[in-house]
Amino acid sequence: MMDCCGGIEEHDDDCADVKVKEGIDAKTVEAAKRLESENYSAGFITDIEMDMAPIGLSEDTVRFISAKKNEPEWLLEWRLEAYRRWLTMEEPSWARVHYPKIDFQAYYYYAAPKAGAKYKSIDDVPREILEAYEKLGIPLREAEVLLGVEGAADTAAAAREKPRVAVDAVFDSVSVATTFREELKKAGVIFMSISEAVHEHPELVKKYLGSVVPTSDNFYATLNSAVFSDGSFVYIPKGVRCPMELSTYFRMNAENTGQFERTLIIADEAAYVSYLEGCTAPMRDENQLHAAVVELVALDDAEIKYSTVQNWWPGDEEGKGGIFNFVTKRGDCRGARSKISWTQVETGSAVTWKYPSCILRGDDSVGEFYSIAVTNGRQQADTGTKMIHLGKRTRSRIISKGISAGKSDNTYRGLVSIHKKAEGARNFTQCDSLLIGDRCGAHTVPYIENRRADAQLEHEATTTKLSEDQLFYVRQRGIAEEQAVALLVNGFVREVLQELPMEFAVEAQKLLEVSLEGSVG
Amino acid sequence: MSIALKDLIRNPSVAELELVARYAALKADPRRERLFEAFALTGLPHRRNEEWRWSDFKAAVGALEASATPPAQDPLASDGVATLKLTPQGYVAPVSLPPGLRLLPKDDVQAMSGAEDAPLGALAAALSGAKNAPATLMAEVTGETPVRLHMVFSGPGAINAARIVFLVRPGAELQVSESHLGGAAFSTALIEYTLQPGARLDRVVYQRGGKGEAQAITALIHQEADAETKQTVLAFGARVSRIETRLVHHETGSRATLNAAYLAGDGYHVDFTSHVRHGARACVTRQVTKGAVVDGGRGVFQGKFHVPRNTGQQTDASMQHNALLLEDGAEVFAKPELEILADDVQCAHGNTSGQLDAAQLFYLRQRGIPLVQARALLTEAFIAQALEEAGVHDEALRAQAQAWLSEV
Amino acid sequence: MLKIENLSATVGEGEAAKTIINGLSLKVPAGEVHAIMGPNGAGKSTLSYVLTGREGYEVTGGGATLDGADILAMDPEERAAAGLFLSFQYPVEIPGVPVMTFVRTAMNAQRKKRGEPEISAPDYLKKSRDVAKMLNLDADMLKRPVNVGFSGGEKKRLEIYQMMMLEPRFMVLDETDSGLDIDALRTVADGVNALRAPERGMLVITHYQRLLDHIKPDKVHVLAKGRIIKTGGPELAHRLEKEGYDGVLAEAV
Repeated sequence: MMDCCGGIEEHDDDCADVKVKEGIDAKTVEAAKRLESENYSAGFITDIEMDMAPIGLSEDTVRFISAKKNEPEWLLEWRLEAYRRWLTMEEPSWARVHYPKIDFQAYYYYAAPKAGAKYKSIDDVPREILEAYEKLGIPLREAEVLLGVEGAADTAAAAREKPRVAVDAVFDSVSVATTFREELKKAGVIFMSISEAVHEHPELVKKYLGSVVPTSDNFYATLNSAVFSDGSFVYIPKGVRCPMELSTYFRMNAENTGQFERTLIIADEAAYVSYLEGCTAPMRDENQLHAAVVELVALDDAEIKYSTVQNWWPGDEEGKGGIFNFVTKRGDCRGARSKISWTQVETGSAVTWKYPSCILRGDDSVGEFYSIAVTNGRQQADTGTKMIHLGKRTRSRIISKGISAGKSDNTYRGLVSIHKKAEGARNFTQCDSLLIGDRCGAHTVPYIENRRADAQLEHEATTTKLSEDQLFYVRQRGIAEEQAVALLVNGFVREVLQELPMEFAVEAQKLLEVSLEGSVG
Repeated sequence: MSIALKDLIRNPSVAELELVARYAALKADPRRERLFEAFALTGLPHRRNEEWRWSDFKAAVGALEASATPPAQDPLASDGVATLKLTPQGYVAPVSLPPGLRLLPKDDVQAMSGAEDAPLGALAAALSGAKNAPATLMAEVTGETPVRLHMVFSGPGAINAARIVFLVRPGAELQVSESHLGGAAFSTALIEYTLQPGARLDRVVYQRGGKGEAQAITALIHQEADAETKQTVLAFGARVSRIETRLVHHETGSRATLNAAYLAGDGYHVDFTSHVRHGARACVTRQVTKGAVVDGGRGVFQGKFHVPRNTGQQTDASMQHNALLLEDGAEVFAKPELEILADDVQCAHGNTSGQLDAAQLFYLRQRGIPLVQARALLTEAFIAQALEEAGVHDEALRAQAQAWLSEV
Repeated sequence: MLKIENLSATVGEGEAAKTIINGLSLKVPAGEVHAIMGPNGAGKSTLSYVLTGREGYEVTGGGATLDGADILAMDPEERAAAGLFLSFQYPVEIPGVPVMTFVRTAMNAQRKKRGEPEISAPDYLKKSRDVAKMLNLDADMLKRPVNVGFSGGEKKRLEIYQMMMLEPRFMVLDETDSGLDIDALRTVADGVNALRAPERGMLVITHYQRLLDHIKPDKVHVLAKGRIIKTGGPELAHRLEKEGYDGVLAEAV
């Protein structure tokens, strides 16, 4: 693990004439070589029996989902209200993405493995699902089995020299397993599927659900509120530093399904949590719909670090199939001195529409957004962030790296808004775009609103192509063109990769290389 | 007039109905009808139109009554330069024009492409040209010596619409200064420049409207091979004002420098919008905009570089917008935008807003310059950076900026 | 002349405030040049900023007077008019303000505060020409905006130019030698030495001894952890150069 990341640590490059982009070394190239044949390795389909809601969307679908989950009346009402509002809303059209009109009646809104939504123990999870996750490199079973022996996990984890990660895995619509639960419980951390949390911690769910992204927020978020199937729930109590990384892995498997997970993370006063999210889906010719909502709440002095590596199936080279990824992610820095940091590596999906945002309400709160968005083939990404400065001395930082290749379009769209009471607010934004080839597009659409004389806002953006000089320099040293590109791209995104937890950084690096295959020549 | 025209504007305001009536009173012409339809798509633009989110004309233009504000003084007027006056009633041209300049009043002239993308520019073209309306002027610039011309847009009236079309012949040079001084409740001017190969345009614009006025100035600039534009704008705004430049590099080697400074006082709004299309290889754009705003004022900057596929290769374009909020209660909204579809390009933009640099202020004070004076010196220097390319008008514009700054 | 007594100061606000100057006392009589040397992070630059009144530095104890006047109570420009000049370690770039305009504005502002008449344009130009010649400054440089596009050496020479133009009574030179080659160092030192006078005082802050070969100090103070821990003659600077700060610091404790 450390080896692959070596390049991230050592970078100083004072090459006399031509500067090689920072943060890359020969090992990166080797990694790229190894992956050459992999392409979309997550593109397999798992064959298991599914329990589905009838196709299409109506009040009955909403009732069906709610009943399946045995939900309390208040939640059903909450969903129905969202559904009724959704009927009155129009699909947004301002993003720079084009896709055929979505027939919302052609999707299944609930799909669960037949054996039952939640398994008592991991041994009850169908072998096919476990195998599916193993193929993805998610050590679900391994971890839980080891946990059966008291303390064995620690030893095993230490032996593998891997940081331990507690995993909640969502397979189509439902959470199938959560690992390391016992250990987390000792620390007072609640980490479970949101369906369980509805029953076990109704007071917390009721208090915070929809408090950051209201049911009326936007077309997709409202749809999600009506039909959300499952997702993760995290609560870190006062003063607790979550002892391990928490992670959710989303896997979309069933045909023509929509996945509508809902994640809610609350960091109580002075708590800390680092949360990782990974996504994959099989290769299918049809477009699959993903409309998630993620809500983060940070109280006084709390910190939430939320990292995503998104590798949904992007469709084939002709643009057939792939995931429509319409996601609403928002963090509320409700408390003073709280901090929310979003890091995302977006390599997948046919269409991405996603703006992880921070509401900086608490005085001295901090919001961060670090993003790498790669588009290739016919992918379209419209992504960015919103930093809403309400509190005094709030600070935000945006680093966005867009890479466009093939016939794709990649748009950064962002808002920095300084409100009248945000005394002494600060923002720094850096948006860089890299173009590989002359059939793609890179677009930058920042909105910057300042209403305070004592605020300081700085925004910089550049658009360039991969430097011929650098490319030549690297190739002159014997590195093939494609690997040379990978090297330079890694340098370009280095600032953001550094923000990811170690394990994810490596995965992200591999993903970048795979995503850009075939982009030159 | 086609019957459906009135219905084209959704929920028309009083002012919009009056504009429709004025248009209906003109002699019908298909060229102007196309433009009026383009205007009618948005009507008077308002904050729900994406390109106008911070500049709401619909809300600001009430009934089209004559403005009570007398036109501002013209600092660009100078001796020995032919001056052209445009008012709600028509235009006044000097008897003898400088050599190399020909004025041709026309009833109707086809508007350049791009007019339909600027609703208020399209409106200006739709309302001028017919017999009983201010004429559309066409001007042809030829010759070996530079042609200097000063235009003044002002005069009392309910509405002041004007349109001028310049054709700058190959290798010719036009030095034009424009003063948009208001006086009308609502005014909109469309100024079109075609620069043929190797032609040069030096354009200096001074805008100052009244606190109760709405003012739109739209310029379309089309550049052929090796043509060059240098534009400097100093704007003080109005109740709502929009200064829009839509420039197209059509052929290789075309260059443009677009500089602007704005100073928005209490109750004033200034909007700078520019759209530059790099429609040919190896064209260059340099853009610097500086603004200073006080309590109750609003500055808006929207800049866009559009580099189309294939044709825009080797584009070299940079955009800077820096704004000072001199007091709390000031607002500065910016949207510096890049739309890039070619890979061999160098495009960059930078945007800052806030207050004067603390380190600079301290440096001046350490040398003994009192705080108030240090602030004024730095603010003046900050604004002056956008006026450096104004040539003979540099001093006059700086003096205006200085006077404004010494009052706030 | 300059008297600093038991001065303490912090950098940063609220909980993040850090004490950098911690009970520092120092006297520089008129006509003398004192050097302050110290390791990185000793508080050398902070001292120069506290004396000149930069924002973000808070005096938490003690005081400082220049000829008996409490300078810490004054605005930065009042301190400048009182004759206190700082040659910045990192001179600030000021786009759009030409050197000439800047220095003349400063000079007249100071004169006004002291109740003196403004300098006439010809007098100013003559003086500027003389000073520029002495410092080897290109006349063109004085028309350019302050420090914009200047090399490190040019910036330092421009600091000395301003100092010679403004003729302060007390000068603080903060790492004026950094970024200078030997020739530039000599030019700068000549300028500084030309200002030595019985009625003037000077505080030379430096990390290295080499500047003191050119500007001979009357006394050398070693600053560490926010206070003067040792004082001696010019020989102390040589000792520091030879033995390094570690030895001298250890001995002082």
